[in-house]
Amino acid sequence: MHKSGFRKTIEIIIFSVFIFFLFAPLLSLVIWSVALRWYWPNTLPQKIGLDYWFQALGITKSLTLGAVNVIPAFLLSLGIAITVVILTMAIAIPAGYSLAKLKIPALLKGMILILFLLPRAFPQQPVFINLMLMFNKIGLTGTVSGVILVHLVVGLVFAVWITASTFSSIPPELEEAARSVGASRLKAFLKVTIPISTPGLIASAVFVFLTSMDEFTGTFFIGIPFVTTLPMTLYSASGSNIQFASVIALLLLIPSILFMIVIQKFLKAEHLGGIGG
Amino acid sequence: MGNNFKNKLAAGKSEIGGGVEKPHSYANFLPYILVFPAVMVILLLYLYPFLSSFWKSFISKEGVLSLANYKKTLNLYRYDILFTMGVTTLSTLIATVLSILVAVYLRLSTGWLSSSIGILYRLPIFLPFVVVAQMMRSFLAPHGILNLFLAKLNIIDIENPLQLFNWIGLIFGFVWKEAPFMILIILGGFQMIDSSYIEAAKSVGAKLPQIITKVLIPMNTPTILIAVTLVFCSLVGCFSFPYMLIGGKSPVTITVDIAHRVNYFGDYGVANALGVFSYILVSLLAIYYVRSMMKKGLYD
Repeated sequence: MHKSGFRKTIEIIIFSVFIFFLFAPLLSLVIWSVALRWYWPNTLPQKIGLDYWFQALGITKSLTLGAVNVIPAFLLSLGIAITVVILTMAIAIPAGYSLAKLKIPALLKGMILILFLLPRAFPQQPVFINLMLMFNKIGLTGTVSGVILVHLVVGLVFAVWITASTFSSIPPELEEAARSVGASRLKAFLKVTIPISTPGLIASAVFVFLTSMDEFTGTFFIGIPFVTTLPMTLYSASGSNIQFASVIALLLLIPSILFMIVIQKFLKAEHLGGIGG
Repeated sequence: MGNNFKNKLAAGKSEIGGGVEKPHSYANFLPYILVFPAVMVILLLYLYPFLSSFWKSFISKEGVLSLANYKKTLNLYRYDILFTMGVTTLSTLIATVLSILVAVYLRLSTGWLSSSIGILYRLPIFLPFVVVAQMMRSFLAPHGILNLFLAKLNIIDIENPLQLFNWIGLIFGFVWKEAPFMILIILGGFQMIDSSYIEAAKSVGAKLPQIITKVLIPMNTPTILIAVTLVFCSLVGCFSFPYMLIGGKSPVTITVDIAHRVNYFGDYGVANALGVFSYILVSLLAIYYVRSMMKKGLYD
């Protein structure tokens, strides 16, 4: 009895430390985003308000806060992310299907698989720098198209893996049955395979969306200074305006939390590590 | 019409059987046509720049083949290369130990405390590093919440706060972001282990440390190694967080040096040599990752 009470106390202490270290950094963002006046060494701000939130969302246009409207950056990020999702899925679905369901000689298939594994295994920043040199020559640096292409590379690697593993989980008998009653390969694919794989494909699309919304390194080298996505806006605010940076960080957190609630059960754990490097 | 149908059926059968196929049938090329765009994108926009980072690292400023970039890199940045190695290794080590302990706790405990931890720990997995960076910049600052809190508990003197915008803050942020991801993977592995093994170990008198080291870890080694690999490789390549936390200081990580080399000096030779060092740093684990993923196959 005494021993189990002691264990419970230890458990609660460890739990509290765990909760503190897990949530205090997040709390720190929340407090800073509403701190209007916070003089050291006060534990909490002396004056709080939503001024920076209103300013960031374009509701007010004060000149003294030094914060700018982030709605254009958000819309730019959103537009890029949607384009990237459409392009990526249009390329990844056929590729994933081919790798999972069709006959490709083992050696060639192995080479293709290695090709799609390399970007996960090796640091991507040096690659982006050389991509920037390539893009300099053809005028893609500093353009939205250039940024979309970088995000496409980042998203495609995950999308091909996720769609391939989704398609391969579908028993081949289903498509064969459809084709044995006269459906063409395309028709069997559209009417049988696609509907069954919808959850996996949606998970893959949402994942690509999130990697694009959060992408930093590629955008930093290819997009700056002209393409200011939400993460780039956060980066520029970070050194100069802590309240404003906190607001943007919290805005960027929203899609991630939604993702965590809605989609994670569809995805294998190993795919989740690649967000926002 | 009827003929057409028969043809289709025949073509379908031959594909399913994988046997004799009609020469020049488009179905022969279909697998390649479908995979072609994806392969081209990766070849052009990933593999070509990846290989050119090796090539360009051997091209000196004068445009000739030489080791000048490597000499300069070792002269200027050998300490930063060691720093990167130390910080990423230590972070991975701490995250691994911590995540194994939490995963063991979540596997073996019941009750509301463990089930709420089992949900809450996932929060950092989905946050991008750029948000983590901003969080840590405010949380770990000399006048940030952590220092204020420690001062309230009389652990530190508020006039003399902890300075954490250095390797310590870097490790803290890395572990904060990556340990939950490791818990997710390792716990998944632990849950595949049948409880009867744990019960059997208990019945022959095994204590908790023995259950961890003799049952849970050995039965779950491949999963733990994959988690270690993914985390270590992503930390070595992580740019945004170190850049935002310690970007203007010294020592910094390789990724920060690369950005400085490119942005301030336009020196792509040394930047690429640094890049090659970061490849070398992850190479052993990266090869292990590629090999084990190939063995597992795409789809399991």
